[in-house]
Amino acid sequence: MAELATDNLGTQGAARGGFGAWLLDPKRRGALLVTPAITILFVMNIFPLMWSFGLSFFNYKASSPRVPSFRGLSNYERVLTDDKTWERFQTTAVIVGSSVLLQLIVGFLLALMFAKAFPLRRIVLMLVLTPMMLSFVSVGVFFKLFYEPTFGIVSYVMNLFTTEKFVMLGSPAGAIAGIVIADAWMWSPFVMLLVLAGLVSVPKYLYEAAEIDRASSWRTFWTITFPYIKSLLLLAILFRTIETFKLFDIVYIITEGGPGSSTETIAVFLYRNAFQFFQTSRSAALAYIVLFIVIVLTNLYLYAVNRRAQEAN
Amino acid sequence: MKTRNVLSGLMGATVLAAGLGATPALSADITITMAAPDWPPTRFMKEHFDQTYQSPDGNNTTLDMDFIPWPSFYERVAASLTSGEQKYQMIVTDSQWLGAFVEGGYYLNLTDKIKEDPELQAIMQDLHPALVSAYSTYPHKTRAQLEAMGPAPAEGVNYYGFPQFPDTYVTFYREDIFCNEGEMAAFQAKYGTNLPCTYEDWQDTDWQKWGQIGEFFQRSAGEMLAGETLADDFYGIAYQAGKGYDFSTMAINAFIWQQGGDIWDESKMPDAQAEGVVNSDVAVAAFEEYLSYLQYMPPVAQTGQMDIFVIQDLYMQGKVGAIIDWVGLGEPVLDPSASTVSDKSAFGPAPGTRKADGSIDRTGNIGGQPFVLTTWNSDEVVNEALNVVKWWLSPDTQLAATANGGQSGLMSVMAMPEYNGLRPWNRAHVEMIDWQKDVWHIPEFFELLTQQQEEFDKAITGQISAKDALDAVAEFQQELLEDIGFIE
Repeated sequence: MAELATDNLGTQGAARGGFGAWLLDPKRRGALLVTPAITILFVMNIFPLMWSFGLSFFNYKASSPRVPSFRGLSNYERVLTDDKTWERFQTTAVIVGSSVLLQLIVGFLLALMFAKAFPLRRIVLMLVLTPMMLSFVSVGVFFKLFYEPTFGIVSYVMNLFTTEKFVMLGSPAGAIAGIVIADAWMWSPFVMLLVLAGLVSVPKYLYEAAEIDRASSWRTFWTITFPYIKSLLLLAILFRTIETFKLFDIVYIITEGGPGSSTETIAVFLYRNAFQFFQTSRSAALAYIVLFIVIVLTNLYLYAVNRRAQEAN
Repeated sequence: MKTRNVLSGLMGATVLAAGLGATPALSADITITMAAPDWPPTRFMKEHFDQTYQSPDGNNTTLDMDFIPWPSFYERVAASLTSGEQKYQMIVTDSQWLGAFVEGGYYLNLTDKIKEDPELQAIMQDLHPALVSAYSTYPHKTRAQLEAMGPAPAEGVNYYGFPQFPDTYVTFYREDIFCNEGEMAAFQAKYGTNLPCTYEDWQDTDWQKWGQIGEFFQRSAGEMLAGETLADDFYGIAYQAGKGYDFSTMAINAFIWQQGGDIWDESKMPDAQAEGVVNSDVAVAAFEEYLSYLQYMPPVAQTGQMDIFVIQDLYMQGKVGAIIDWVGLGEPVLDPSASTVSDKSAFGPAPGTRKADGSIDRTGNIGGQPFVLTTWNSDEVVNEALNVVKWWLSPDTQLAATANGGQSGLMSVMAMPEYNGLRPWNRAHVEMIDWQKDVWHIPEFFELLTQQQEEFDKAITGQISAKDALDAVAEFQQELLEDIGFIE
């Protein structure tokens, strides 16, 4: 009915003639409605992307008034042949791998716990979800203080057993562990939510049937539960890998990339190049390399998800 | 005759009109937006400006301070400047940023203004030469070079900044434990030398004694300290050992300079080298000495996160006996609502390296900030901003600032008899300012600094030796500076 009325308006307008009538013609109305969204998308996203992509082929420094000159692929070559870049990628890979694995384990265990009813379940669930609602800065500051060896709670607890102050961030391995724990604390609830959605979708009669068949717990999990949650687990891995790959705030606040550069992720390295050293073009090239890697990872996951979906069908 | 009368009449009317309307015609509403770090010295400037500033040109001037937290200050200022928003008319800047932002076309060269203005010349000549060298000149001129060139404005020198807050680092110490008779006797018995209690004692304190203090006061919970049982572990000493910004470079440079080593010297480019200088045997030995005292400091030193705010905080919590920190961070230490040691703290000069003749070299890396003007200001705004500079650097304002936790860079003000009594650290500041030098000012300073901080951090956290760290720093600097043509 509403559509008819609008069409009538357009027809009446067209009958009256003029630009307004031409614009409101039903043939153009769809394009007219999406134009503001596309304009905003172009101005805020597409144009800056194209602009920074263009910059990556010049020798532009944002802090310098010098007119930039075209350098072709030299920024990409320089970034890819720089040992520091590969060290940062390695560090990022270690943090991503450890953190996502820990999030999956903790998130999965939490989901198993919350899949069953117990007293105060809703309140505990709400508390467990709190970390992912906090800002990165807050979480970074919390954990920096937790790890502080003179008065931090981690050192205090360890001191009860060892009589020594526990200096967690004093070694590369300890600092990476500190970042992984903080990130996993924040994002395990996200994994839990996804897995929990899968768990509650499993029909109860399947478990009843398994019980009648006297299937073992592992058999029940592997043949009934896991098929329902595996696509959601893949989704969790995809989201968390992409997000952790870009990890910046927590690292910058807890360790600033130290000791030395042992926890400097590719995102922190990129930030330093872009906004501290003002290597604008070089950092744009690095940003596009990172973007390319994220796109490849995403497609690998999507390929896996689609393949499983086809197998299921 | 008639024409002459008419002309005379017109001239008279013009003069009368100009005379009557002089104030409204020349005065203007001017807002000066200043980027400033958010801490007491800049907060006081705003407060005092609003209470006392009267434009000598009759302008209605507003000082709009954009207070930015320290940790994000550089990024915020840099982002504003490079984005082209032209938000600030004045900026409180670290001296190291001069090269980057002068070359970027953002900071205004004030040399001609100083040459035209006797008041500004008088200020420049009254400023301590270490401050003129560090805060104002670009390309950088050392204090020795400036003194050889004669009074400011010297020919061939470009001037950009004036001191907003000239900072030096001094020793903050717990008078209640350093002047405790039992502790003093025990220290004397153990080391055969006195535990520094008075200002004069600290004037005779070198790094060796600093290490002894660290070792002596390192105590576990349950042990006694100045007649009381400790509820928590206690540490004797702390100085900067942080990876962030310049939080280890400032302290390490002092050790290197005091022992006769050097950093890459931009005032001697393109002949000055990095390799062989930055990693000289003297520099390595100095860095090793710096590292050797970290074992007596709170364990956060082992994480490379012991920055100027962390040591201030630990000191205020009563966990450290003596720290070396900037004067600018002294005011909260005396605030009973923030500090557990507000009534127990005293101040002395920072320790140094004892020379063969028995004297102590306290050469250090200057702190604090100048303020500068930006290039997009109109003449009217530039002139009014310079009026603000003159107001800030007038003796009355400087004394008021000093009484409220600031410091003065004017030699005439520092020489006033009441100056040392205004705040408890003033005597130490006046003594320390004469020893100050500065790190680099070139546009690539952040790359030099970040790489150096990373290597220093590896040494501080025990991953590599002092020599390995300085070798890596020297190699990086040599390559970068050759690339940009600063080393031939």
